[in-house]
Amino acid sequence: MSENTTQKKAVVRIQRFNPEKDKKPYFQEFNLTYTRDTTLLDALHEIKSHQDGTLTYRRSCRHAICGSCAMNVNGKNMLVCNSPLQEHLTRKSVVTIRPLPYLPVIKDLVVDRTKFWEQYLRVKPWLISAGDDPEKEYRVSPDEVAALNTAETCIMCGACYSACTVVGTSENYIGPHALLKSFLRVLDPRDVGASERLQEVGTSEGVYRCHTIFNCIDACPKNLDPTKAIETLRNLAVKRLAFEEAKKKRYQTIRLKVE
Amino acid sequence: MYKTTGFLSFALRRFTGVALVMYLLLHIWVIGSSLDSPEAFNERLNFLQSDLFKVLEIALLAAVIYHAFDGVRLLLVNWFKITEKRKNLFYSVMVISALLVIAGGVPILLFMLEGK
Repeated sequence: MSENTTQKKAVVRIQRFNPEKDKKPYFQEFNLTYTRDTTLLDALHEIKSHQDGTLTYRRSCRHAICGSCAMNVNGKNMLVCNSPLQEHLTRKSVVTIRPLPYLPVIKDLVVDRTKFWEQYLRVKPWLISAGDDPEKEYRVSPDEVAALNTAETCIMCGACYSACTVVGTSENYIGPHALLKSFLRVLDPRDVGASERLQEVGTSEGVYRCHTIFNCIDACPKNLDPTKAIETLRNLAVKRLAFEEAKKKRYQTIRLKVE
Repeated sequence: MYKTTGFLSFALRRFTGVALVMYLLLHIWVIGSSLDSPEAFNERLNFLQSDLFKVLEIALLAAVIYHAFDGVRLLLVNWFKITEKRKNLFYSVMVISALLVIAGGVPILLFMLEGK
């Protein structure tokens, strides 16, 4: 038998909560066998299919791109679809899975993300164009593309948001996910809404509420850096008017190059 | 609660910040008595000469040093945007703080023991 098909035993501790029956959450243990290639999501599927069909969790793509399956494993937020089970087992072959912290639990591992999306919409995450879009594509510089790449690969899984201590203590905090998206649009040379964006995030509910705890960086499964984006937004919010002027000039440049 | 080195540094920063405010109140209570009379000032100062307050002085030193260096760490991260160095900087702050607390705390302890 090759190494990747060798079966071993593991215990998966899962936080359960059914609001219709339970007064408070509790842990339930499930025994299962796994191989080298078993992911945490595979383990959850195994439990749901063969041991307890009432276990509830979100998942969709299984390729770490939809962001549905973010959960808290052994105290760390991550996507369970691309996390091997054996890498997260303790010495006693136990792994503990909880729902994302600081968010209301709907059932078992499913959390209510309403606040997460409300805060996301606050920063207007879409591109605000000047209204005279050319038929050809804009030509932006490689440096600008590289800067945008540091934020563009966010999959909105909520791992950073629910890892943020400030989110847990301050209800109206915009959150690292939305601030990262705001950073993306503010720096995008095609976007003309930088001023209103900086006014929205440059408040005590936005970038000035961040306590630089870095949990968002540690939690991000895509290795993004929301803290650095927040620092950049802080600096730009202070010199908003000058930045706005510089951006207008830059937009004119890329606009002229298209024609 | 999401526990990381970042959370630990934040919790310590908050705790030492509140402790320093508490110290400031005590400090004002003692210094303020000098406006009443020399006797009142001496009485309150004598109250603070106990061994307990000598040990608390070391704790005060630790709080001041950690709070100051952690603030410098955040300034460095903010200014130079070196978030990838966050853990190294945190461990550096802990080591520097520990060394300075030992350097400052040992003389306080020796002074306390000499007085006996």
